Amino acid sequence: MLNRRTLLGAAAGTLAMPTLLGAQEANTLRITGWGGAWGEVMRSKHIPTFEKAHNCTVEVDTAFPFVPKLLASPRGRPVYDVLHTNSNEQWSVFEQGLVERRPDLKLVPNAAKTYPYATSDSIVGIVIFTSAIGLAWRKDRIQAAPASWKDFWKPEYAGKRASYVIPANSLGQALFMMAGKVYGKGFKDLDASFKAMEAVKPVRLFDFTGGAENAILAGELDIAVLHDTAAYRNQDKVPVEFAAPSEGVMALEQVLSVTTGTPKKALAHEWINFMLSQEVQRSMAETVWYSPVRSDLTLAEKYRGKLLTTPEQVATLVQMPWQWYNENKDRIDDRVNRIFRG
Amino acid sequence: MGRWFYVLNGLILAFLLLPVAIVILFALNPEPFIAFPPSGFSLRWYDKFLHSRDFMHAFMLSLELGVGTALLAGCIGTAAALAIARGNLPGSGFLTALFLSPLVLPGLLTGFAMFQLVMVLGIGRSSSVLLVGHTVVAIPYVMRTVLAVLANADRSIEEAARGLGASPATVFREVTLPLIRPGVIAGCMFAFITSFDQFPVSLFLVAPGEETLPIAMFNYLRFDFDGTIAAASTVSILLAVLLVLAIERTVGLQNSTRL
Amino acid sequence: MAAVTAHGAPTLPRSSAWLLLTPALAMFILFFAVPFLTMATMSVLSGNPMVVPNPRFTTRHFERILDDVYYLETLWITVRLGLSTTIVSLLIGYPLALWLARARSRTTRTLLMMAVLAPMMMGLVVRTYAWLAMYSNRGVINGSLAWLGLTDEPIQFLGSEAAVVVALAHIYVPFMILTLSGVIARIDTRLEEAARGLGASSAAAFLQVTLPLSMPGILAGSLLVFALAISAYVTPIVIGNYNIQTLPMLVYQQISSSFNLGFAAALGIVLLIVALLLVGAYNRVMARAPGAA
Repeated sequence: MLNRRTLLGAAAGTLAMPTLLGAQEANTLRITGWGGAWGEVMRSKHIPTFEKAHNCTVEVDTAFPFVPKLLASPRGRPVYDVLHTNSNEQWSVFEQGLVERRPDLKLVPNAAKTYPYATSDSIVGIVIFTSAIGLAWRKDRIQAAPASWKDFWKPEYAGKRASYVIPANSLGQALFMMAGKVYGKGFKDLDASFKAMEAVKPVRLFDFTGGAENAILAGELDIAVLHDTAAYRNQDKVPVEFAAPSEGVMALEQVLSVTTGTPKKALAHEWINFMLSQEVQRSMAETVWYSPVRSDLTLAEKYRGKLLTTPEQVATLVQMPWQWYNENKDRIDDRVNRIFRG
Repeated sequence: MGRWFYVLNGLILAFLLLPVAIVILFALNPEPFIAFPPSGFSLRWYDKFLHSRDFMHAFMLSLELGVGTALLAGCIGTAAALAIARGNLPGSGFLTALFLSPLVLPGLLTGFAMFQLVMVLGIGRSSSVLLVGHTVVAIPYVMRTVLAVLANADRSIEEAARGLGASPATVFREVTLPLIRPGVIAGCMFAFITSFDQFPVSLFLVAPGEETLPIAMFNYLRFDFDGTIAAASTVSILLAVLLVLAIERTVGLQNSTRL
Repeated sequence: MAAVTAHGAPTLPRSSAWLLLTPALAMFILFFAVPFLTMATMSVLSGNPMVVPNPRFTTRHFERILDDVYYLETLWITVRLGLSTTIVSLLIGYPLALWLARARSRTTRTLLMMAVLAPMMMGLVVRTYAWLAMYSNRGVINGSLAWLGLTDEPIQFLGSEAAVVVALAHIYVPFMILTLSGVIARIDTRLEEAARGLGASSAAAFLQVTLPLSMPGILAGSLLVFALAISAYVTPIVIGNYNIQTLPMLVYQQISSSFNLGFAAALGIVLLIVALLLVGAYNRVMARAPGAA
C-alpha cells in the first residue's frame, strides 16, 4: 500500500531507493500464477504450507501476461524463479534461452510418479496439471452430443458456435491445428487449416476462455471450443455437457519451468516437487477441476470418468506440436487475420 | 433554452446511463454469469466483493493512487501548461506534442517500456513506481484542460493587475489561478479517473500481491464472469457520486465549471 | 498549440516558464522519453538487447509493415474508428456540455456532473462488457426488441463497426463533455444576449457567438477523444468480434502472445507518428478557423 511517506517521496521527484536486493529477498520465491478459483485455493491453502515448510515467502505475480515481463528482465536477473504458463509459451521462452529445457528431475522426486506426458518431448519444463480441450455444448439446445471435431463445423451451428482469436489464444491455435488433422493431412497441414477457418464463419470469437464460458452459461451460444475444467465446474448451474471428440482431446497443459540464471534453483525445484505432491494434486483437481498428472491418485467418485486419471483416459490426450506452431506463428497470423476480418 | 434542448439532452443522458443501469442490475443478479434479463435479486456479489481481502485491498490502493496521481499530475501539469501557454518558449509545438504522446501510444507499449526501464535500473516494481507511471500518463489530460481554459482567458486582467504593481506571485494567486481553476479541477478529475481506471500501464508495473482494482478485476474476469465485478463497478460508481458531492461541498461545482 | 500561443505578449518571463516546465519535463524524459527511445531502438534491432547479447540493426519490422497492405488497411481502420468516435462524441457531448455549463440550479449541475462521471468510474473493462451485454443475441437490445415483437431473429450488432463506434463514444464522451463545459462556462452569456438583442435568432446567436468561442474546448476535447479512441484495444476486441482489427490490437497480440517486442514497437511508433501528424494538421486547420482562440 501507499503510505504518506512514499507519496511524499515520489512527490518530491525522488524515486524509491532501489530495493535492497539480497538479504531481504533471499528467501523469496517469485512465481507466476492464475487468479480466480485457482489463485484462491493456492493462496489460502498451499502457499502457506510451502512457506512454513521451507521458511520462505512465495511471491505470486497474477498480472498476465508474464512472458513479456520475463523477456524485459535482464539476463541473469530473471524477474521470476519459476514460470507457470501453458505449453506453447514455454516453448517461446525456452527458444530465447530464458528457461531450462527440463527441471533437474533428481531434485524433483515426485516427477517419478507422473504420467509420461508430463515430461514428453513436446514439453519444455514439466506438466503439473492438464485440461482437455473439447467441445462444450448446451444439452437444452442441441439434440445429439457432438462426436467429432467436424461437428463443430455443422451448418446449424453457424453464428451459435464460439472459438477464439487465433493470434492471441492457445485454444484457438490448438483448434487451428486440429482442423488441419481432421480436414487434411495432419496438424501441420496449413492449407487445410486455413480452409477450415474460412468455413467456420460465422463464429463468435473471444480473446480468452472466460468470455466463451459465459456465452455458453448465459445461453447466448450453443457450442464452444472449451476445456473440460470450464464445462465441469458449471454443471451444477446450467445444462452444459463436455464432449471429447473421437479424434482426441487436445491437451492444455499447465507447465512449470525453472528460469535460466535464477539464484534460487534449489527452492524452485522444491516448489515444483511440492506442486506434484499427492496433497496438492488431489486438492487442485477436486476444487478447480484440473486433471492431475500423477498416476497414483484415486479421486472422489464425482470426478471419475471426467478428469483424466486412468491410463486409458490419458491415452485420449493429444499433445500439440507447439514448437512447430511458434515457428510458423507469424505466417499463420497473417493469413488468419485476413480470413476473419469483415 | 427550448424544450427540444432538454428532450435531446434527456436522450443523451439515457444513452450515457443505460450501461450504468445494466451493471447495477447485473450486480444484483443471483446467477453466476452475465445474462439478461436477470433471474432474481441477490446481494451475494456485494457480500463477496466487500469480504474479499484482495478486492478491498485493490480498491483502497486504487483510491490512494488516484488521489496521489490527481495531486501530482494536477500540480505538474498545470505548471507545464502555464509555461507553454504564457512563457513564449521556443519549440512549444514540440513540447505540446511530447506531452500528448502518452495519450496516443498504445498503453501496453508505454507500460512495457516503463517496466523495462524499472528492471534495468533495478528499482523493482512498487506502488511508488506505479504512482509515477500513472502520473506521466495523467499529465496530458491536465495540460489539455488547462490549456483549453487558458486559451479563452482574458489576458488583459493579468496585465492590468501587473500594471497596478502586483508581484508575479500575487498575480498568479489572485488572478491567473482563479481564471484557470475550472481547467485545473477538470484536469485533476481526469487524472484521478485515468489512474483509478488505469489498465495497460498498471498491468506491467503492479507489484505481485499489490494489484490495483482494474488489474484485480481483469484477472478475475479471465476466469469468472459472475456479479462480483459488477458489484465492484457499482461501488466505484458510488465513489463517483461521492466525488462530485465532495467537490460541490468544498470548492463548489460553480467554481469548477465556471468563473 | 499555435492557437494558444500565437497572440498577445507573454505574461511569464522565460526563466520562470522554464522553471514551471522542469518537473513535467524531468518526469517525461525519465519515465516516458527514455523508455520510449528504448522501444524505438528495439524496433530497429533483430532482438531485445536485454536478452540477445549482440542484436543487429535491421529495418525488417518496418519493412513488414510497409510490404503488406494489410497493415496499412488496419491503420486506416484504426484512424477511421478514431475519427467516427470523435465526431459522435462531439455531437452527443456538446448539448450536454452546454447544459452542464449553463444550468443555473446547483442541484441540476451536481446531478449532471454525477451522470457524466458515473460511467467513467465504472471502469473501461466493465463498460465494455456492459456493451457486450447490450449487443448480444440475447442481450438488452435484442431481448427488448424480441419482447416487443419487433424482430424475429436477433440483430447481429457484434462485429459491426457502428457498434464499436457507439461503444467507444460512450466510453470517451465524458472526456469531451468535461473539457467542453469548462470552456463554455467561461463564455460570457451577455455576448449571446447582445446578439439576440440586435435581432439575431437564438440559433444564429448560438452559431455565431457561442459555438466559435467554444472552439478551444472542441479542439481539446476532440484531441483527447481521438487520441484515446485510436489507442483503445479492449473495446474493439470484445465488441468487434475480430471482424474489426485495429493497430493497438496487433500491438497487444505481438506483446502478449507473439512476444515480438520489436515488431510491437514498430507498430506503436507508426501509430504514434500518424497520430501526431494528424493532430498537428488538425491544430493548424483549427487555428485558422474563424473564432479560434
